[in-house]
Amino acid sequence: MTAVAKVSAVARRELGAAIDAPSAWVAAGAFAIALQGLFFFAGYPIGDLRFPGLWEGRVASLQVLFAWLPPLFAVLAPAFTMGSWAEERRAGTEELLLTWPIASWQVVLGKFLASWLLLMTAAVVGALPATLVVASLGPLDWGVAASGALGAALLGAGCVAVGLVVSAAAREQLVAFLVAALLLTGMWSIALFLRVVPGELAEWFYLVSPQAHFLDSAARGVFDTADLVYYGALVALALLVNWRMVEARRRG
Amino acid sequence: MIRVHRLSKSYGSFRAVQDVSFEIERGEVVGFLGPNGAGKSTTMKVLCGYLVADAGEVEVAGAKLPEQGPLARARVGYLPESTPLYRAMRVDRFLDFAARAKGLGRSERRAALARAVAAADLLGYLDRRIDQLSKGYRQRVGLAQALLADPDVLVLDEPTSGLDPNEVVRIRELIRELGRTKTVLLSTHVLGEVSELCPRVLILSGGRLVADGAPHALAAARTSALFVRFTASLGSARGSFDALEGAFDVSDVPVTNGAALRLRTDDPDGLATRVLDLVRERGLELVELRHEAPTLEQVFAAHTGGRDGRFDAVEAGGPV
Repeated sequence: MTAVAKVSAVARRELGAAIDAPSAWVAAGAFAIALQGLFFFAGYPIGDLRFPGLWEGRVASLQVLFAWLPPLFAVLAPAFTMGSWAEERRAGTEELLLTWPIASWQVVLGKFLASWLLLMTAAVVGALPATLVVASLGPLDWGVAASGALGAALLGAGCVAVGLVVSAAAREQLVAFLVAALLLTGMWSIALFLRVVPGELAEWFYLVSPQAHFLDSAARGVFDTADLVYYGALVALALLVNWRMVEARRRG
Repeated sequence: MIRVHRLSKSYGSFRAVQDVSFEIERGEVVGFLGPNGAGKSTTMKVLCGYLVADAGEVEVAGAKLPEQGPLARARVGYLPESTPLYRAMRVDRFLDFAARAKGLGRSERRAALARAVAAADLLGYLDRRIDQLSKGYRQRVGLAQALLADPDVLVLDEPTSGLDPNEVVRIRELIRELGRTKTVLLSTHVLGEVSELCPRVLILSGGRLVADGAPHALAAARTSALFVRFTASLGSARGSFDALEGAFDVSDVPVTNGAALRLRTDDPDGLATRVLDLVRERGLELVELRHEAPTLEQVFAAHTGGRDGRFDAVEAGGPV
């Protein structure tokens, strides 16, 4: 049996566990409701990028929706990843899993893919009403929408990978959730400080800010290869750290 | 089948296992004994490929650990202490997940599941959630997952801990059945279980291997005793028993009628002959002459810093 099948087995179990867990449904539901309210009524009043709500602005665009994804993902992704490792450790199943002939990296990858798929499913379900309403009201630029969706997928992958690292370090799900949410919110808020820090430092801030690599490009319909490299590197680094943490447990 | 040479493992500054060596051949069922914190579980976790040893060589079913970890793990079935399972899953889905994660292909998976379910007698429980099962059946699910890949070696960490007596009997029967075809390393605190199931025991204490052998051989190496009972009181003959060669501690055992003595000795056969000679010489009426071998509990205590393994009235069964 191939490595793909083992990764798939872990991913399927994780998905099944998430579907059985009320917390995942509550988080996904809260995300969907919050996204509609923010998109249709509140707009995006934070930082340099300021947009009115749909009814106020009357522009057939998903910019507001995309602008809210980074802070909402900062909370939603940890809700899906918090139990991935922390619960395995609490219940002792990590010991069982790691004595099976499955490589640690296969377990890490399976958990990542499951949480990513969950996040993307929640994002699609949450974004669908807004997208359909905008498309029915005016000429929606489907190219920008597709680019934004692809960028959101990359952003989500980064958030999930960071959330998994925190879960691997935590013993309690709640701690994993809070620390990951705090960390991802911190990473999102870096972009808010770009104009108040000196020029050279601002460039570095920009380079490490996940939202800048989403909102300034893919969310506007400009898909930059540098953003792909950024998210690819972020995910690869986080998964590598996650794998090393699991292997370190074998060393006691 | 299992070869451990000078294994050591520490957690920070705590040395859990120190310089432990042993070999277990194919088809052996070996009891792994020791007080809490003796290093049993750590050694088992190393054998299963979960932990990596700090020093020493470990080989399981021909695969070296940690170098050939996945290969070794494919040939070992492991039941961890307290049987951690994905409790929200149904039994059939959990076993299917375990089979897939263990790398079994579609056709072999079906056969493996059927075999493991039959061996663990879980057929009527496949659609139950694991958290709705009794502890005994959760233990069976744990055993079933350990058996899925038809491993050569089974490592079972306290498989009957916390079970009710009926469940204990059923799990022991299952282990005995498995021991006919597989190498089994069984950790337990229930010494009767070891006497019943294991022709050989390893005793760990303070992270070191302090005894290795058949329970009766380990018992024979310890001080034993002779129990002698007479129809009437011994009177002046009592003093002669204290002077018998080979009897280093003679005590009176309270009995309802007559008199009884317990004579500690390292040479029960020789002392028995001398006791019979004395009985004939003094014209005593002997009712009973019995060799009391040390129990496994006494052997265990002697090796692990508990009681010294010698006899007293209570340990040997109390007044007659």
